[in-house]
Amino acid sequence: MHALTQAIILGVLTGGVYALMASGQTLIFGIMKVVNLAQGVLVLLGAYLTYTLFTHLGMDPFLSVLVTTPILFLVGVGVQWVLLRPLHSDDVAQLSLLVTFAVALGIEGILSFVYGATLTNVQPSYANSSWTVFGYQVSVVRFAAFGLSLVMLGVLYLILQRTKFGRSVRATVQNPMSAQLLGVNAERVSAIGFGIGTATAAVAGSVFGMLNSFNPGSHYDLISRLLTIVVLGGLGSIGGAVVAAVGMGVASSVVAAVASPIWSDFSFFVVLLLVLLIRPRGLFGAQTRGAL
Amino acid sequence: MRRTHIFRLLAIAVVSVLALVLAGCGGSGSSGTADGGPLKIGASLSLTGDFSDSGKAAQRGYELWADTVNKSGGILGRHVELTIVDDASSPDQVVTNYTNLITKDKVDIVFGPFSSLLTVPASRIVNRYGYSFIEPAGGGPSVFDQKLGNLFFVQPAPSTAGGNVFADYILSLPPDQRPATAGYAKLDDPFAAPIAESIQKRFEAAGIKTVYDQTYPAETADMTPIMSGMVAAKPDVIVGGSQEADAFAQMKALIQLKYSPKWLFESNGANSPADFPAAVGAANTEGVFSSADWYADSSVPGSAKFIADYVAKYGGTAAAIDPTSAEAYSAGMLLEAVAKKTGKIDNATIISTLHSGTWPTLVGDLSWDQYGAPQGSFLLIQWVGGKPVTVYPPATAGATPVAPKPVWAG
Repeated sequence: MHALTQAIILGVLTGGVYALMASGQTLIFGIMKVVNLAQGVLVLLGAYLTYTLFTHLGMDPFLSVLVTTPILFLVGVGVQWVLLRPLHSDDVAQLSLLVTFAVALGIEGILSFVYGATLTNVQPSYANSSWTVFGYQVSVVRFAAFGLSLVMLGVLYLILQRTKFGRSVRATVQNPMSAQLLGVNAERVSAIGFGIGTATAAVAGSVFGMLNSFNPGSHYDLISRLLTIVVLGGLGSIGGAVVAAVGMGVASSVVAAVASPIWSDFSFFVVLLLVLLIRPRGLFGAQTRGAL
Repeated sequence: MRRTHIFRLLAIAVVSVLALVLAGCGGSGSSGTADGGPLKIGASLSLTGDFSDSGKAAQRGYELWADTVNKSGGILGRHVELTIVDDASSPDQVVTNYTNLITKDKVDIVFGPFSSLLTVPASRIVNRYGYSFIEPAGGGPSVFDQKLGNLFFVQPAPSTAGGNVFADYILSLPPDQRPATAGYAKLDDPFAAPIAESIQKRFEAAGIKTVYDQTYPAETADMTPIMSGMVAAKPDVIVGGSQEADAFAQMKALIQLKYSPKWLFESNGANSPADFPAAVGAANTEGVFSSADWYADSSVPGSAKFIADYVAKYGGTAAAIDPTSAEAYSAGMLLEAVAKKTGKIDNATIISTLHSGTWPTLVGDLSWDQYGAPQGSFLLIQWVGGKPVTVYPPATAGATPVAPKPVWAG
């Protein structure tokens, strides 16, 4: 029972971080129908930037988010503007897979060149600290990461629900043609939307770097995890991504603790398959075009 | 990792085609070498791609050895000329490279590439041409299962026997001081799990009860659930059959769960002098066991000179030298020793000579079975005062093992 509760605590906290990464991914899909295969490598880019700021300037990883988020936002806007915008809209779903995969390989190559292939780790003094709460261990970094993810998801929610830009985004998601007729600048919405999606990777990256040892090749495992979360939650649904991410975190963690780690990732895929059989669009995927 | 293969194969295919085109353009059919000319030695190394860090470390080892031997007049008076080509960590490219080295560049001797993955296809080609294959970095079962008589692995023991020295140490303790219970966390990888299994077999035979035993897949991102299970079982000794990233993750999880076993052995990761303290925090390294064949404070003869030459040539610190460099350097030492003993340096002589006797290198005194598996054992190292020191076997130990392990610094 103790191990089970401990596993659930861990799963929820880990799920929060994945929720943040996946929310950016699903936002990009929602706006542009682009499956961004570079989201994983952008998380790593965020992690490496955090690493550089931490080791060279001694900047706290949580504080460095203030620097890395704008950088990744600009990277996202740049990728959208230069590489995705020229794609013909009829083929964008298929072509964007190749383009974003190429971006992923390109960034992986640059990271390998700059940082080498050895494992890296962001190790502030509190990286291994934990609080004992009612006999359970709660990792300080995980807890803070979970909190930060909630804050970022809250900010994302406010941007989408309360700002004019957010209204344009939601309108574009629901019906791009009508949105444009009503004066929404689709290209601008796409570029900024892509930028926001990749900016979430910056925050997730600094946390990821403290929780895991990583090298430039780490993004393959990351992206496969993110894709399953996004599909389970329903492509384009941020709420769905959050539920799916926490669900995945808890399922993996509980199965690893009480059964065997061999089955922990597999168990999540079983859930994914069952959900897709019953609801082919994922937990919260909309019938046609969705709402965020 | 496995999922990544499909994607990577694409990338590798493109790189291979490019490399073939480039190789075709650049071939300059050099002539064969008569005795008395330079001694041409070729090797393919992973200078780019997944294994590039280790590949470059091996390159530094080979080149440092060549420099050193040339300064002292070469081998049997012949100047050593090294040709190192890049295989981009690709098992296909490595085959092309060794074929070219032997048939086009007409090198006299070849040394091995990095990793068992590349050593297996490379060794088949090299064997076909009747060359000897002294290789510093392919020690997996797949290498020795080929039953090649020309291969010599330049490390003290096959990779899967890396933890046996820890079992030797524990079982050398008086029964009342040994651990009563043990927990095993094994990475599902041919270079990780078998090391722990080999220790487990001997522990169980000696009556050390297994209270936790789990194997986890390579894509396991988080060790905390596994380690919570481990902690609940309260083992006296924890054995991690690990690679680097998961070893660090295991220990980070144990620190956060505030559980410090009396003995902790990690088959990999904890033997990395620079990465380990960086990953878990320097104060948390205290008392952790691992095994190694060479490290900066190794007391093996020749090590101090190797370090001095290395730092003079490449800069940096002794602690930052990758053991792969010492292993590659040792490959050259073997060649030198054969020439010195026989007065000859051809492949047939190398093969027949190395199959008898014991050969001193930076990674210890080596001898091999008929298929090139080394017959020695690794050094048991323990982190004491922020540095790894050899603690077993007693003959080479610089200190006695510390047990129980000090609690985590946090």
